[in-house]
Amino acid sequence: MAESGKLGNPLKLAAALVLGLLLGIGAGYALFSGGQPATGPTGSPQLTPAPETVFKIGFTIPLSGELSSVGKLWEKAIYMAIEDLNEEVKAYGLNVRFEPVVLDDKTKEEDALKNVQSLNQLGIKIVVGPAASSQVKAVMNYAESNKMVIISPSSTAPTLAIPGDFVFRNTGSDALQAKALAALVSHEGFSNVVVFHRDDEYGRAFAEFFAKEFSALGGTATSMPYATGLSDYASEVAGLSSKVQELGADAVVLISFDTDGANILSHAKDDPVLSNTRWFSSEGIHGASELLQPEMANFLMRIKFLGTRPVFRENPLYKDFAERFKKETGDYPPVFTDKVYDAVFLAGWSILRAGEYDGEAIKKALPLVAEKFYGVSGWCILDENGDRLMQDYAIWGIAKSGDTFEFKDIGSWSAGALTMEEED
Amino acid sequence: MIGPTEVLNTIWIGIIYMIIALPLTLSYKVTRIINFVHINFITIGAYVGVILFLLGVNSLLLVIPASFLFGAAIAVLNHFIAFSPLEKRGANPVILMIASLGLWIFYKYVVYAFLDLGQKVFRTNLFSVIPRATSLPDVSVGGYVLSGHFFAAILVAGVILGVLYLLLSKTSVGRAIRAVADNPTLAEISGIPKERVVSITWALCGGMAAVGGLLWAVFAIATPEVGDALILQIFAVSVIGGLESLLWTGIGAFIISGAENILMSLLNAVLGVPVSFRPFISFSALLLIILVKPPLGAGGGLPYRFKIVRHYKR
Amino acid sequence: MLGFDVIGFLISWLTLFGTYAILSMSLNLEIGFTGMADFGKVAFYGIGAYLAATITAFTFLFVNGIKCPLHSVEAIVALKECASKNPALNVSIFVLCILITFIITGAIGYLISYPTLRVGPAFLGITVLSFGELLRIFMRHFEPTGGTKGLAGIPHPLAWIPDPRLRDGIYAAIVLVVMLLTYLLSEKIANSPFGRLMRTVRDDEIATLCLGKHVPRIKAAVFFLASGLAGIAGVLLAYYLGSVNPDMFVPAVTFNVWAMVIFGGMGNNKGALIGSAIITFVDRISFVVNLLFPQAIISPDYIRWMIVGLLILITLLFKPQGLMPETPIKTLALTAVAEESGGEENA
Repeated sequence: MAESGKLGNPLKLAAALVLGLLLGIGAGYALFSGGQPATGPTGSPQLTPAPETVFKIGFTIPLSGELSSVGKLWEKAIYMAIEDLNEEVKAYGLNVRFEPVVLDDKTKEEDALKNVQSLNQLGIKIVVGPAASSQVKAVMNYAESNKMVIISPSSTAPTLAIPGDFVFRNTGSDALQAKALAALVSHEGFSNVVVFHRDDEYGRAFAEFFAKEFSALGGTATSMPYATGLSDYASEVAGLSSKVQELGADAVVLISFDTDGANILSHAKDDPVLSNTRWFSSEGIHGASELLQPEMANFLMRIKFLGTRPVFRENPLYKDFAERFKKETGDYPPVFTDKVYDAVFLAGWSILRAGEYDGEAIKKALPLVAEKFYGVSGWCILDENGDRLMQDYAIWGIAKSGDTFEFKDIGSWSAGALTMEEED
Repeated sequence: MIGPTEVLNTIWIGIIYMIIALPLTLSYKVTRIINFVHINFITIGAYVGVILFLLGVNSLLLVIPASFLFGAAIAVLNHFIAFSPLEKRGANPVILMIASLGLWIFYKYVVYAFLDLGQKVFRTNLFSVIPRATSLPDVSVGGYVLSGHFFAAILVAGVILGVLYLLLSKTSVGRAIRAVADNPTLAEISGIPKERVVSITWALCGGMAAVGGLLWAVFAIATPEVGDALILQIFAVSVIGGLESLLWTGIGAFIISGAENILMSLLNAVLGVPVSFRPFISFSALLLIILVKPPLGAGGGLPYRFKIVRHYKR
Repeated sequence: MLGFDVIGFLISWLTLFGTYAILSMSLNLEIGFTGMADFGKVAFYGIGAYLAATITAFTFLFVNGIKCPLHSVEAIVALKECASKNPALNVSIFVLCILITFIITGAIGYLISYPTLRVGPAFLGITVLSFGELLRIFMRHFEPTGGTKGLAGIPHPLAWIPDPRLRDGIYAAIVLVVMLLTYLLSEKIANSPFGRLMRTVRDDEIATLCLGKHVPRIKAAVFFLASGLAGIAGVLLAYYLGSVNPDMFVPAVTFNVWAMVIFGGMGNNKGALIGSAIITFVDRISFVVNLLFPQAIISPDYIRWMIVGLLILITLLFKPQGLMPETPIKTLALTAVAEESGGEENA
């Protein structure tokens, strides 16, 4: 039998392996410490001709998994942004170029961490992403220890509002949006609503904020969470229908993403109670091409479907971006795409302002860059927790445009004031 | 409370579960492989429908057979490039399961790649899309909208059940399939071309699952992960059939569908159980059934009542 | 591709490898040696991770006199601050968690074996999987541990080491040591009379019964051990990620572990090690595909995972029994004979 020769004494092997590993780590530490393998020389970029400096920006986005329909379009925005950023930087006379390294994290926490680790091992110190708050929580510790700046364009969990850490969030808190949505619902004359929301941190936090704001305006909101990640919600919609009937509610507030939202609305339109109720929504479902299909769009227009979404008032940069995106891909930019686009710019300019490709320096530079930056997502100024400080909201609905349908902004909410442009 | 919506949903979802779970049971019966690619059959069937509708092919009469053909083709392909060679090299069913797992990952990302290309070609979001044949009329009964696809689904289910029943009980092919399911070695010895029978079974199963996927996408929504989201429930349905009895798989489909819709609705209305507990209900129903009345079908195994009886003292 | 941090890669890979190797060996004990097809490994993995997270977070907050829900942002901030103040606390909590988790998850595994025996060997897998899913959905609604928010900011047992590279490296070493201990334990059990009993149950359950062996008790004992080991792997994961969330523990993780066990060869602990080593390595290194194929027409990530899936299939085509076949039990007699024949060959 050959097996006795294979391992010998396992204890000896164990000791040898551990010793070898410790020696290896020690040697590696001694050899490689004193600087991560950087992807560019240190020192400020010069205005005189010199070899082009290349800076890498890392991305971990959901290209497969639950958020893939949104992540796929973010990828497009990322490449657009890198192109635009490189053009702008050249226009300023700087001899630098930014390169993206995009990794798919499958909307999973462990994969997000693996991606951040791989990016770190490539020497990248600034990462845009991950998308979900639970993923941000999984990469937080690693980013902190290895001094990597994380800019998440879409994480809204209140439990991540931590000051002084390496995690920055380019998106505003839903507390404010809940205020806008509550104002909208109240303005439309409803006082008894059911909040049909995702049963995750985003949905629950939003529903709680909404309930608080809505009751401050004198209404009652009943919360009805639905499980996330399921393939279909017909059963939940049936439950919603019963609840709406039971409570005599006159409106439903939907807090969802694009896929589950489209599924829910397609079932709702076949239900007698729900197809005669007013529906309101957060930003999650905005841009979903499903809503522009004739059957669905007619239904939504009939019930005057209205929602809020974070967009600064009269922002021509956003209008240009949305048009350009639609022209290049044929789709509306889905939620947070504008934040992703701006995150790339924030990352790039922070690297330049930091003067060196070092995590600590970039971390210090980022809030300074953000406070002067007004991009397609508006004013990017950050609060003391590294999250976006200010946000306006637009009121949107579905409108007919010739033969097809489109998403139309018909109002706005800014600093507590609701303005509706067209009353129809 | 239980209204027409819950009943309609139970029927519709039950039909689709049945259409997807029957091939899972059948393929397990005949080949003893837990086939992960079943997940991909569902997704591929759904997207064949999506693409054909986008191309303007509006008739379900054309789209459903197309889905069937695609699913069948993939299943037979798997058999020839993976399962058959591995079996010839003496792999046991567990190895085949892991081979199918590798194939599942492969096909999943092939679909993603295809959709990525498709998005650039069709210029619409393919990762989240509800296919609809606009030629089918909707019927409105007292405020409840019954989409034309519902009747199509019932028709398809009827056809599939009819064909399966006739095939398996009346034709020689069906008898051969049942023979291989019961005892492969004996079937081979008695002259049944096992390879061909297994290929036919795979084609049938892949095709059926694909059609089920299409019907599901029409009802719910098509995403590249639609198969992954469904597979646990489908597996639960097949387990109620003991992974052997097609009849009980069909019944199981409606049990699980009923639990998810009617039972959930009852619990929500009467006990205030939040609807976010729905997956809990499905698995509880499954557990209850297999614990109370274990389907000893395909597994064989020991009698589950185990007592040590001491007849004498030492 | 200049400037690739090889040491960092090795450290992150080895930590992942160690954790998954423990899971693989525990699954191997069940399916490889005892023939119990367990599809619910992730349940005990999750229980272990949650136990570690809850105990650690609670103890740290308690010791520092902070009273707030474990999952709240105040807790996360507070944990971050006190993580490195008290090295003895970190390390002792770590050791304590491992011991407590082993016992608790083992006990839960033992209890689960009761209903699974009732359903028969064919449905053991789906039963444990269902229990796992039920537990996961329950945890999603269980507020004290955060529900869908999960827990974050778990203090790392080595948080008091200021240098991150050293900290990660030593943690990797600890994980590998735990893995080696698991390996030694598994080998000991596999080559013992109890190991023979396990294989008898796998090969012919009825014969075992006829020989008068208490099969359910054997299976329950194996379940206890394997679940306990999976729990320990969960503890290591919780500290590695620093956060836990119910949606991390879905059945797909179990199938991943199955792939490692089967790929490496069932019934062979070395096989479990090799299977998990190769699959975790391929998983970690495959991102180079992204660097080779810049986004041209389709995302390179899709190509990457297509390649990974194909690799599994192709390797199995070459090695249809898995990479390492099962070895006979090392009884005293066998070892003696082997040594003799080995000595004769050399002489």
